[in-house]
Amino acid sequence: MRTPIPLFAQAGSMGLALPLLLLAVLLPLANSLFAAGHPLHLSLFVVNLIGQVLCFALLALALDFVWGLLGVLSLGHGIFFGIGGYVMGFYLLNAAYADTQVLPDFMQFMGWTSFPAALQPFASLPVALLLGLLMAVIVGGVVGLAAFRSRINGVYFSIITQALTYALMLLLFNNDLGLGGNNGLTGFTLLGGFELARESTQVGLASLSALVLAGVFFLLRWLAQSGFGQAMVAVRDDEARLRFLGYRTDRIKLAAWCLSCAVAALAGMLYVPQVGIINPGIVSPMLSVEIAVWVAIGGRGTLTGAVLGAAIISCLKFWLSAEIPSLWPFVLAGITLLITVALRNGLWGGWQQWRTARAAA
Amino acid sequence: MASVSVRLQGHGLWRRWLRHVWLLSLCCHLLPAQAALPTDERRALVVALCTQPAAYRATLDRVVQAVVGSSAEDAAWGQALLKGLADVALVCREQGGPVFKRADGHVDAATLQAVSEAVDELPMVPSLVLARLLKTSQAEAELFSPDVGTRRAAAQRISQAYAQINEPLVRQALAKASDPEVVATLELALAKRQLASDQAPDRIDAIRALTKAPSEATRTLLSNHQEANPAMDGLEHEALVQALKSIDRALKLGQIGSIAFSGLSYAGVLLITALGLSIVFGLLGVINLAHGEFIMLGAYATFVVEKWLQAYAPGWFDAYVFLAIPFAFVVCGLIGIVLEMTVIRHLYKRPLETLLATWAVSIALIKLVQIVFGSQNVEFITPSFLQGGVQVSAGFFITWNRVFAIALALAIFGATYGLIRHTRFGLLIRATTQRRDTARALGLPAPTIDRLAFGLGSGLAGLAGVVLTQIASVNPSMGTSFVVDAFMVVVLGGAGSLVGTAVSSLMLGEVNQLIEPFYGAVAAKVAVLLLIVLIIQRRPQGLFALKTRS
Repeated sequence: MRTPIPLFAQAGSMGLALPLLLLAVLLPLANSLFAAGHPLHLSLFVVNLIGQVLCFALLALALDFVWGLLGVLSLGHGIFFGIGGYVMGFYLLNAAYADTQVLPDFMQFMGWTSFPAALQPFASLPVALLLGLLMAVIVGGVVGLAAFRSRINGVYFSIITQALTYALMLLLFNNDLGLGGNNGLTGFTLLGGFELARESTQVGLASLSALVLAGVFFLLRWLAQSGFGQAMVAVRDDEARLRFLGYRTDRIKLAAWCLSCAVAALAGMLYVPQVGIINPGIVSPMLSVEIAVWVAIGGRGTLTGAVLGAAIISCLKFWLSAEIPSLWPFVLAGITLLITVALRNGLWGGWQQWRTARAAA
Repeated sequence: MASVSVRLQGHGLWRRWLRHVWLLSLCCHLLPAQAALPTDERRALVVALCTQPAAYRATLDRVVQAVVGSSAEDAAWGQALLKGLADVALVCREQGGPVFKRADGHVDAATLQAVSEAVDELPMVPSLVLARLLKTSQAEAELFSPDVGTRRAAAQRISQAYAQINEPLVRQALAKASDPEVVATLELALAKRQLASDQAPDRIDAIRALTKAPSEATRTLLSNHQEANPAMDGLEHEALVQALKSIDRALKLGQIGSIAFSGLSYAGVLLITALGLSIVFGLLGVINLAHGEFIMLGAYATFVVEKWLQAYAPGWFDAYVFLAIPFAFVVCGLIGIVLEMTVIRHLYKRPLETLLATWAVSIALIKLVQIVFGSQNVEFITPSFLQGGVQVSAGFFITWNRVFAIALALAIFGATYGLIRHTRFGLLIRATTQRRDTARALGLPAPTIDRLAFGLGSGLAGLAGVVLTQIASVNPSMGTSFVVDAFMVVVLGGAGSLVGTAVSSLMLGEVNQLIEPFYGAVAAKVAVLLLIVLIIQRRPQGLFALKTRS
């Protein structure tokens, strides 16, 4: 199965990072310059929406890195998104408890009288961030090590990761685990001393999401254009040949995979303070397939396409599932079928192809 | 008999003798009623119920004697009295005898003749004590019912209320009983009663009798007995320890059997859900994430057949399960063929894209079914022959619907295996999947064979839906939970190997049920997943890998 090597923009150009940086600057600027009610002063709802879409785009970027460039389709990126989200939730619970001195609801239901010691290491924000990334890399590393060493690849890898997602979701649904079960973690108040309910905090978070997305985009694109990226593409196109040439393909895969897991966890960490809740629904197998659908629609292997696909489909989802809730699944199904059957390189890939074809003509 | 009793009425000597008999039977409750009760006796009994709470037991026993005795007239009266008490229809009066309140007026409680005068008093509401005694008395009366079902239910109630039964009467019922279930239940009830006896040999007999009917309930009873009497003598203590040991052993065996059976039944579900997937994934290389939705469609096809039969042929209602088998197979098979023609056909060379495309199909199907049938669980009426089950031993109960699921899974597996291994169609499928280019070079119509194979896989998913209607809840999103498990089975068994599918579903089913009762469902799922990952480390293509050149 060979697809043409993705067409990246030239190394010097900013690509997608430019509009993202602009967004990161303009969003807080507009909200501080114009008073509430002005059309350029975005409401809290819209700001939140933009922030969420940016987090999804980051998640899609993580998946595209391993699927598009390495040919490893994970249906379990929700796991790492969830790990990041839950760790951020632990930190926020700590902060809320330090702020209000009231135990979260679910702990009161469990009959606990003091804040559990197991969650106390997450009390400091930098430590929590580090622990979140570390946990995602360790979990991802174990899964990746087991899978790549024994050469589980292609659809088998997808199925195993999907089953892992399902198992983790069932585990999190369990009330006895002490992580809030069905309802998840909620009731957050403070993030690093800032009140989450304030508009300025949310604008800051959305702006931060845009910055992080731009940064990660730069990093991944740089990696993709480096020798490492070429090795990844070589693994995707003919792993056996690369192995016979003396490369340790399992190590290349593991390194890229762990980086992708960390990026997914980062997306989860940015996502949770903006939506104010984290529950097991985030690790449902359904959502993890949806991430792959975003990437496929945008165009896999292009990084830009993944961001665009996630942004377009999430925006459509926010809009249509409110306007025509019963028709939205049909719209999504229709788009997915159309792209997979007719436009196999996705929107961005198709656009690039068309431009190359026109330039050649 | 009735005419004799009429002639005897009013005869002083006989009446005195009868009263004597009555008193005697009040004392030892041994003698069954031989002749009809005079009106005075009946009235005295009813008045006793009205006025003497202390004599409830004795009076009710007498009434039950009347019901089960040989006089039809007495039996009718006794039943009327029990029913009148239970229905809160007995009116006790200051002046005049007690009467029953009926819809069309009042009748005398002793003669059941209509009374002319007006009755102002309200019926008596039985006290808690009387209500409880009354239930036991009714059960005692029902022990003699001609219907075996009623007798079994009555025996169960007797066994529960063993502390307050009329022992001689129950012994009498036991002597007459022929149904083994009734005999066993009554013997158990009497043994429980005997355990409270003040004679040590009686208690030892009771312990031995209880040992013969091991169950959680008898175990609790015996261990309670042990705790309540710390200072029992050596012989009894030894018998008790022996009994507890033997019951524990029986319970352990029952638990093992029960776990093995539930594992088998879970394996049946896995086998039947994975079978279609094994063909579609293994032979065609298509990741059909909509497989779970085909299962769901099969269940809804069964629902349609059920409703249709209920409306147009109620007499054939029980057969809906069998009628649904071809219907669901054809419906799901056709939908599968349409899906293959429109979508899958274009994606054979790109397995990861089929995954996304079939996911899209699955969300559309779920929404479609939600719109048509609603998103709640659909209720199925279990056919009468699948209701209930059989108690194999203590703690080991086999339900017919599970047996049906296992049997149907095996039958469908056998049919599919035969189709793939021993028919020309199966030969064509195997040829196309194992050496596609050679097969095409030999002139086989590969696209048509692909289409039919996909239809077969989808149809098998539909059959899984039929089976699941009997043991799982049916709703539009039911497929999601099955499809992950089904993929696990196929991955472990080796794609495309039917034998591998069977072996791995048996393995996963048993392992799952072995862990679930002790550590919970989630732990079982995680353990199964780890097991699969470990096995795949050694055999990446599954246990029974198929050799192909594709």
